[in-house]
Amino acid sequence: MAPRRSQPVRQTQASSNPLDPALIARRTKKHLGELEKSNYTEVDIDPDQADGAAEGSGRRGRGTARQTLISDGRPSVHPNKKSTMNIRTALLYKKNLATLIEESGVGNLPPSVPGYFSAVVPPSQEPPRLFCSVCGYWGNYRCMKCALPFCSRDCEVNHQETQCEKRVVY
Amino acid sequence: MLFLLDNGAHSIKVGHDHDPSVFQNAIVRSKGDKQTYYGHEIPRCRDRSSLHYRLPCEKGYVVDWDAQKAIWDGMFLQFPKPDIPESSILITEPYFNLPQIQRIYDQFVFEEYGFQSYYRCTPASLIPHGSLFTAPHKTREGDLPLPPECMLVIDSGFSFTHIVPLISGSIVWNAVKRIDVGGKLLTNHLKELISYRQWNMMDQTYIMDDVKERCCYVSADFKADMELSRTKLPNNPIILQYILPDFSLNRPGKLLERGQVVKDASWQILEMNNERFTVPELLFTPSDIGLDQIGLAQAIAHSISLLPEELHGMFWGNIGLIGGNTKFPGFAPRLPITEAYRSAHRFVTSSPSLYAQRYAITREDYFEIGNDISRRRWKGPYSDMPLRVDTRLKE
Ligand SMILES: [Zn+2]
Ligand SMILES: [Zn+2]
Repeated sequence: MAPRRSQPVRQTQASSNPLDPALIARRTKKHLGELEKSNYTEVDIDPDQADGAAEGSGRRGRGTARQTLISDGRPSVHPNKKSTMNIRTALLYKKNLATLIEESGVGNLPPSVPGYFSAVVPPSQEPPRLFCSVCGYWGNYRCMKCALPFCSRDCEVNHQETQCEKRVVY
Repeated sequence: MLFLLDNGAHSIKVGHDHDPSVFQNAIVRSKGDKQTYYGHEIPRCRDRSSLHYRLPCEKGYVVDWDAQKAIWDGMFLQFPKPDIPESSILITEPYFNLPQIQRIYDQFVFEEYGFQSYYRCTPASLIPHGSLFTAPHKTREGDLPLPPECMLVIDSGFSFTHIVPLISGSIVWNAVKRIDVGGKLLTNHLKELISYRQWNMMDQTYIMDDVKERCCYVSADFKADMELSRTKLPNNPIILQYILPDFSLNRPGKLLERGQVVKDASWQILEMNNERFTVPELLFTPSDIGLDQIGLAQAIAHSISLLPEELHGMFWGNIGLIGGNTKFPGFAPRLPITEAYRSAHRFVTSSPSLYAQRYAITREDYFEIGNDISRRRWKGPYSDMPLRVDTRLKE
C-alpha cells in the first residue's frame, strides 16, 4: 500500500514527514473504513424522533443494554408470547463485528483451518496504479504536501485550492 | 407450508413459490417526511432524499438483532396466513458465519417464531440445486439434470465478494476466498467521487445506488476507456448524463438520452464519465483505492490452484455468477440476483421428503437435543471448534 511509484520520498524524521509511508497507509486504512459506513452523518441523530428508530448503529459499549428496542414497538408475530432469555439477550446486547470475531475465537485457528481470516485473498504483487485525486485520470505526480496524486498542472492547482490538507494528519 | 428466506445484508428475498418478494434488509428514516420504514415498507417511501439507514448486518453478518427482528416480524406478518408452527423455513447465512451468530438464528427460528423445522445454509451451497448451470428450457420441474460435479460460484454481494468452489454439491471450504469489495463500498466510493467533483451526494445513498446501477460497467479495456473519457462531448462516448430526481415533484431520476438537450432549467445534471468504469473496476483491482488484495480474476485462479489439479479444468469450465454486482454490464453473463432464492426453491420442491429427512432440523429435536444440534447436523467450517457462549446473562 505504500507509494511505490511516487516522487522520491525524503528520508527525514518519520513522524513529522508528511510523505511518511506509514502515515499514508494509516490514511488509506481510515478511508477504507469510511467506505463501509451506512450513513455519512452517523452522529447527527435527529433528537426529536419519537419512535427512536434510525438510532445509529449502537455506539454503546459492550454489555450495556439499549434503553428501548425498536422491535418492541412493532407488531409481533406472536403478540401474546414472551421472548425467551436467549432472544432478549440477542436483542438487548448488541456487539459490533470486531467484538464478535474476537469473542468467537476464530482468530486463534491455525492458518491451515479455513475461516474468516484465512479466506481473505492474498495481497497484490503489482504496484498500485495511481489516479488523479481531482479528475480521476492517471495520477503520475504527487502533491509534495499531502501525497495525493494528480495528473496535470490544472489539477494540481485545483487540488491545492480545494482538497489539499497540507499535511497528512492521521 | 415452506418459507424460503434469502437473508442478504442488502436485500431480503422471501416467499413460498418461484417468485419471492424482494426488499431491502434495512430500516430507513426519511428526513423529508420524518417517517420510518421497515424492510418491506421501504418501497412505500416517496421522499428518498437524505435517508438514514439502520442495517441489521455489519459486513454481511447480522449484528443488530433488534433491527433484524423488527424487519422479520413485519415480513412474516405480510403473509396472508403464516401458519408458522406447521411450517418449515430455509434461511441463508453468510460464508464463515460465526458460531455464536448461528446460534441466534436457531434461537429465533425455534424459540421466538416456533417453526416446525428449519435448514440454514450459505447461498452458494444452494446453487447446485438450482438451474444456474443448466439450460432452463431443457428442464422441467421434478426432472433435474445433474449439475456439474465441479463448479465455482462467484458471489459478489453488498458486503464482499466470495469465490466458492463446490465438489459434488459440497463447498470446499479451504479454497473459499474473499475479496473485501462489495456493492456498499462501490456506492460509497462513487458518492465520494461525485461529491468532490460535482454535487454533494454524501447523504444520498438511494440516488447513488440508482446512478451506479444505471451507469456503471466493467470495462473490457480500461486504458482505452480512460483515454476516451478525456475527450469532450459530443465526441466522448463514455459520458452519461443523469437527471437528478426531484422528490417534491415526484419525479424519479433518469438518464438523459444521448443527443437530447437539457430543456428544463430546473433539471440538475450529474455527469458520469470515468466514474462509470473506475468504480466497478475495484472488484478487479482493489489496489486502486489502496486495498492491498488481488482482484477477482486473480482470485479465481488462486482459489482453483488450491483444488485438486486433475479437477482444474472442470472448475474453469463451470464458473457461475450470483450477487448484485455481477449485474454490471461487462460482468457477463448477466444473471438475476434471485439465483440463490430460486435454487432454494428448486431444492425444496424437487424432493420435499429428502429435504425434510436429510436436511431440516425439527423443533422437537431442537428442544430435546439442544442448541448444538445444528452445528452437529449441518457441519461447516467452524463445526469442530468449541463454541464460546456468553454466559453473562444466564440465570
Ligand atoms: Zn486530473
Ligand atoms: Zn496536497
